[in-house]
Amino acid sequence: MIPSSIKLTIRNIRVNVDPGTLAFLLGLPALYFFVLGLMFQGIVPDFEYGTVKISYVSFLAPGIIGMQTLTAGNIGGSLLWADRRWGMFEQLMVGPFRRSDYLLGVVFVSIVFSLGGSLIMLGFAFSANATFILSTLSIPYIIVALIIGTVFFTSLFLIIAVVAKSMQAYNTITIVLFFFLDFASTAFYPITSSTPIWLRAISSVNPVSLVCNIVRDSMVSGISSATMISTLEMTGIMALFFVLAMVMYRRVRVGA
Amino acid sequence: MTNSSESKIVVKNLVKSYNNKTNAVNGLTFSVSKGEIYGLLGRNGAGKTTTIRILTTLIPPTSGEAEVCGMNVVHKATKIRKLIGVVQQGEAFDFTTVEGNFKIYQLLWEIPKEEASNRMESLMELFKIEHLRKKRMFELSGGEKKRVQVAREFMHDMEVLFLDEPTVGMDPIMRRDVLNFVKDKAKEGLTVLFTTQILEEADYLCDRIGIMNNGVISAEGTSTSLKNSYGDLRKVEMKFSSEVSPDSIEKLKKEFSKISDIQAYLISEKESEFIIKNIGKTLPLILSLFGSTGVSIETISTNNPTLDDVFLQVVAR
Repeated sequence: MIPSSIKLTIRNIRVNVDPGTLAFLLGLPALYFFVLGLMFQGIVPDFEYGTVKISYVSFLAPGIIGMQTLTAGNIGGSLLWADRRWGMFEQLMVGPFRRSDYLLGVVFVSIVFSLGGSLIMLGFAFSANATFILSTLSIPYIIVALIIGTVFFTSLFLIIAVVAKSMQAYNTITIVLFFFLDFASTAFYPITSSTPIWLRAISSVNPVSLVCNIVRDSMVSGISSATMISTLEMTGIMALFFVLAMVMYRRVRVGA
Repeated sequence: MTNSSESKIVVKNLVKSYNNKTNAVNGLTFSVSKGEIYGLLGRNGAGKTTTIRILTTLIPPTSGEAEVCGMNVVHKATKIRKLIGVVQQGEAFDFTTVEGNFKIYQLLWEIPKEEASNRMESLMELFKIEHLRKKRMFELSGGEKKRVQVAREFMHDMEVLFLDEPTVGMDPIMRRDVLNFVKDKAKEGLTVLFTTQILEEADYLCDRIGIMNNGVISAEGTSTSLKNSYGDLRKVEMKFSSEVSPDSIEKLKKEFSKISDIQAYLISEKESEFIIKNIGKTLPLILSLFGSTGVSIETISTNNPTLDDVFLQVVAR
């Protein structure tokens, strides 16, 4: 007997394996990676990251992988929105499931897409001659960081899906968030002493930065105490938002 | 709650209030036996869908009791959901192909692959949706979506099926096919709670009917018994063998006005039309009046009461 949450996860994967979702999940980050990576690679000389000297492509790849958590999290939120809009949330709630099964199904599918997307981005990175120091410690660390990041972003987008009154509102909020979180983070460029202080402040508290920094440290320079502090911070934020998402999710009314 | 072992749905004094103000369901009581098709009729807002939502465990009642398959809808919701099928009034589908929707149901209800494949094929044939199998749901018309929604529900086994206006958007032939299929399933032991706005459907399908009005059942029984109890208004039309004089018409009018069971009438020199109650008593009185006035009747026709007549009387009270 398959656990209900796993059945719902498989259902969520089947529902989301469409060209639109795949283009959003893989096409956009791949475009970022190849266009930005290959274009800037030619003009940005190798630079110091921590104690190692790396190419721009090797810097960008962990950022694109970290961004997968944001993209996959949005899939979770969109799923709840679409299921409510098209009656499937109500239909599932009269089926052999509990509300918690549905929530877990959404979180799990986001994790599957996040890890799967990250693996594909890693493949792209290797094809572009990026170099990493992957080890038996760094690989599980990256996976855990990606899971923490994905749960956080899924929680965030679930909250938005509950609050948003229309698909337009949901899309507008998520597009603005995407641009803000992606471009005000360390996904594409390093924060240096010459970065404006306000941008440095925003970037340092930006969850995308936290995830990207953890992934980048693990892949490029090695896990340090700063990496662990970032991981703890991210875990705390994730726990807080997950609780908030559960509270909001409980307020989703069915059939009322 | 005392529950007959044969009853699959038992509802007693059920109340559902919204914001402590409006009672969508207001002391509802009824039961449905195993293998019975029970129709809930009522105007929009009568409380039919709210009742179904409570019984399918989507929303809790404010007070009263409701049991499905012998289990309380509040305390045993998860167990009940494994034993029921629900076709909602609104659309409910996954954004994949028609076949994909069936396969997702196979996964969700853990139906063995071969069995699921056989069921899917026979349901697709029965509901005439084979040609749509590769189409995505959003490409279908409203009626086609509804057919998929109803057919898909029969992928899994169930003890009780809740059908909330399932034939909306379907053409008459498909509607009849769906109703026949539900009838056959009921003969195999499936219990069905059915709501509809199309009274002929209820007349055709349901073993018993409950007419809901303001959150309660105002009339209940078989279609025939309801017609007998409430549909006692009849229209009687008569044609005369020869022309009736104006004096005779005036005389007859005076006599008709004395008979309380004549609700309305029209009389001319050649014909007359009556809306009467208690046809067995009233029609002989009318005929004797015509006889005593020297009017001979060439033809008489009466119509039978329909469920529409019953419905209109009950909800108008």
